[in-house]
Amino acid sequence: MKPIVQATQLQFGYGTHAVLKDVTLSIYPGEIIGLIGENGAGKTTLLNLMLGLFPANHGQLQLFGQQPGAPIAKQKIGAMRQNDMVIRGVTVQEVLYLAAAQYPEALNVTTILKSLDLTAIAKQRLTALSGGQLRRVTFALALIGNPDLLFLDEPTVGMDTNAQQAFWRRIQQLKAAGKTIVITSHYLPEIQAVADRICLLRNGKIAFQGTFQALQQQYQQVEITCQTALPVSSFKDLPGVTAVTKTGPQLQISSEAGDATLQALAPILADLHQLTINRESLTDIFVHLTKGVLA
Amino acid sequence: MNAWFERFKFDGRRLILRNFSFQFFSIVMPAGFYLLFTKVMVTGNVPDSFNVKYMGSMIVYSGTINALFGIAAFLQRDREAGVLQWCWLSPAGIRPYYLSIGCWSLLMNMLSVVVLGGIAIGVNGVSLSVAQWGAIAGIAILGQLSTMLLGVLMSFVERTETLSVLSNLITFPMAIISGLWWPIALLPNWLQPIGKLMPTYFINDWLGRVATHGTMVPADILGTGAWMISLLLVVIVSVRLLLKRSDGVVWA
Repeated sequence: MKPIVQATQLQFGYGTHAVLKDVTLSIYPGEIIGLIGENGAGKTTLLNLMLGLFPANHGQLQLFGQQPGAPIAKQKIGAMRQNDMVIRGVTVQEVLYLAAAQYPEALNVTTILKSLDLTAIAKQRLTALSGGQLRRVTFALALIGNPDLLFLDEPTVGMDTNAQQAFWRRIQQLKAAGKTIVITSHYLPEIQAVADRICLLRNGKIAFQGTFQALQQQYQQVEITCQTALPVSSFKDLPGVTAVTKTGPQLQISSEAGDATLQALAPILADLHQLTINRESLTDIFVHLTKGVLA
Repeated sequence: MNAWFERFKFDGRRLILRNFSFQFFSIVMPAGFYLLFTKVMVTGNVPDSFNVKYMGSMIVYSGTINALFGIAAFLQRDREAGVLQWCWLSPAGIRPYYLSIGCWSLLMNMLSVVVLGGIAIGVNGVSLSVAQWGAIAGIAILGQLSTMLLGVLMSFVERTETLSVLSNLITFPMAIISGLWWPIALLPNWLQPIGKLMPTYFINDWLGRVATHGTMVPADILGTGAWMISLLLVVIVSVRLLLKRSDGVVWA
């Protein structure tokens, strides 16, 4: 399958400060990419380059076979930037009608207002909206052109729980409709739940790209809990085990090589009751990967 | 066409209909000044030529306020709010945006011609031929183009506070030394040549000559043209330089 976004050895910086270093990334039709990283890792800069707001200092970048910012590429892209536009003197529906008029295959304004639960505030001025409402309007503006590729930069910041849930439902619908979505977010459970692939940026470089399962394979820390009559000494020397604690019949094993430890437990599985295995979440792995940087 | 029309409607609502301060400073204030200096703060009969000339001055003043306060602040606010960036990301780009704002600025200028002309006719008994009124409208538009370009240039200033200071520092001294508030002959001798180089002087003089004698002089046409071309070049170069800056200041 041909990628719709192809970035090859992208470099970008301000003066001597390099923000992105040799970023190579392919994005394929219909997938959701979770772009994660610490503050300043280069996520928003990478999105800005893809949108064509700034040219890369070095490397190649193409969207739909076009240079970023080319009119054909613009028609197929929707962007939800970090900052919401607060335009004075206009209402929600007025700004949506304006946006819809700019795209050849725009969605119906009334439909989008309904689908994003914005009908009640359609006639309100943008300046009168709350942060969460503005965020939803920004999402509507990103969708109104019926784009094939969506860039969502910290989309759920400021949204209440209901709005967040509705947002993620909408993302699943868009995925089902074959849309390609690139999301940056600091809410990693959200990314873990929806992203087909994760792209982890660290210090301007791609530290990992692939599925969450592949990331978990690389970082095999697991917590195993069970009830057993076996002594602690039976578990201490198992491969990968870093700590074993026992309180009554309750046993807790920490391992940094989950697969190897579980394989070693297989022969005594009959003696282990109420077994639970907790693999690391994306948040755990993210903290693990970045703690050296933050320390 | 639909895209352009929506853009034009959208900008008209926020720039004019729902922006009382813009209407006040661009139309009501110059109209108030015109009444004040031709009806209230005068004794005896005011010559017709003064009523006509001062109408021209207030038309130019209205356009200057419109461009250097209204449009400059509006464009800067849009840039800060991300509107410019949003327009750039849309398939139509930023040209329709600037074109729409420019058209509204010119229409406001035409409205000032209508309002001030209406006061001149209705209150001050000014009588001009249709051709003279047509020429006044045309010259006012040409003059507005220069000040509008200056307003666009000023909108590139990064900070709102700086723009506010700049608008005051440019508009009022320029209005005074180019003879919009009182005759340039009343200014000190050393200041008059400087005043006569201002874009507002050329337009005011051109309007005054057409309105009072139905004549014009090449210096006014050349001066206006020179300002327009120079400012257009500076705006083009500035936009290109800003777009080249990789820190994205133009997008704020």
